[in-house]
Amino acid sequence: MKLPEGRLLRSRVVSDPRTVLVDALDRELTGYAVFEPQDALLLGADGRGVVTFRAGVPVVAYHTGSERAGPPALADLAAEGPYRLRLFALAPADLTAVHDEDEFRVPPGMPAERLAGDQALAERTREAAPAERLAVVSNGGAEHAEPVVGEDGDDRQPGAVEAFLDDAEKIEAIREQARDEAQQRADEWGFDDVG
Amino acid sequence: MVEAFAVASGKGGTGKTTSTLALGMALAEEYDVTVVDADMGMANLLFHAGLADVETTLHDVLVEGGAPVDDAVYERHGLRVVPCGTNLADFEAADPRRLRDVVAALAADTDVILLDSAATLSSRAAVLPVVLADRVVVVLEPTIPALSDGLKVQEYASSYGTDTAGILFNKVRDADAIERIAPKAERYFEGPTLTTVPASERVRAARRNGRPLLAHAPESDAARAYREAAASLTVRDGDSEAVADRFRSAVVPESP
Repeated sequence: MKLPEGRLLRSRVVSDPRTVLVDALDRELTGYAVFEPQDALLLGADGRGVVTFRAGVPVVAYHTGSERAGPPALADLAAEGPYRLRLFALAPADLTAVHDEDEFRVPPGMPAERLAGDQALAERTREAAPAERLAVVSNGGAEHAEPVVGEDGDDRQPGAVEAFLDDAEKIEAIREQARDEAQQRADEWGFDDVG
Repeated sequence: MVEAFAVASGKGGTGKTTSTLALGMALAEEYDVTVVDADMGMANLLFHAGLADVETTLHDVLVEGGAPVDDAVYERHGLRVVPCGTNLADFEAADPRRLRDVVAALAADTDVILLDSAATLSSRAAVLPVVLADRVVVVLEPTIPALSDGLKVQEYASSYGTDTAGILFNKVRDADAIERIAPKAERYFEGPTLTTVPASERVRAARRNGRPLLAHAPESDAARAYREAAASLTVRDGDSEAVADRFRSAVVPESP
């Protein structure tokens, strides 16, 4: 996925991807965010996640390490924070080519749900999204945006959560890191005699 | 008999307190259940259980020379509930190390202890309930951060000798997706999926009314899901004295 560099608006380290999504929505950003996990262990050496926005609403997601796009890319970039984050503004025309790639697209509220686990933010994002991005379905009285799919209607694309759970290696890395942390803290906190 | 469960999630907003009370009420149909607010820094069990105005809370018990445990135990909704207060000064004065003695005292007189745990793993006080419990119930949402933090809770628990009783998916909005997600998640968790609880306006209404879900909307789908979870949880027949001794002898160091 090729994008012009654009105008750098913000470059900082954030612990929670939610910060980025709120910032983009509040600024009504047209441009993109690059997420670079500080802990390269979980993503490999050059794993970076890219999410583009139009008027604050996420449009496509791509991951440079796995080279996956759409919802699976969200799973790839949902590693442990903190992230080094850079936010760039672009002219809408610079995004047209990537935004036309259906398989790169993510539903407007999905990054807030899957990366930040924040339903309220997901709702706010959907409210800000143009009608054509929302394929609304009825689900127990709640309305949800479904993945934007091509003319063929291939809606069997695995969601980001499933893609995350299919990545056994990454999950083992998370578990191993937690085990190390727990052991280290057991020493610090003197829990080792507790059984 | 007694078994202590930590209800934990590692991440905030998963509905842990709602789940603790709902599981407690469902288990109370068969067992004597005591629910303890072990989230000492961010207490909210008292709001869920209609105990916002009580005089004595766990904080008052955890201070040096504090109140006896029984003063902070309230009989509500067929449960014994031990709430924490929300005053930050009280929290600072409280000594979390005394929690083991409180749990030991409660263990002598109940079948099931549910410890509503903190939504973080970043401090000793937050991890303590997971250390003290026999088993942990991991509350998840079907999101990547919740699953990732739930896995961390499990690793902490097993590192400290605490088993996983099962996982509970809360705030489920897509019934089809959860049928695919839950079995995949089960590959990584040591316990089964106890239930999947649908997202529900009635859960929020119960919270606003200061009533547990099973009292506010006992016939709701969410309440039914919690009863299903309780039914699938086999409480182990621990020896009360042995459990109490274990809590009393738990080594918890001085410095924070």
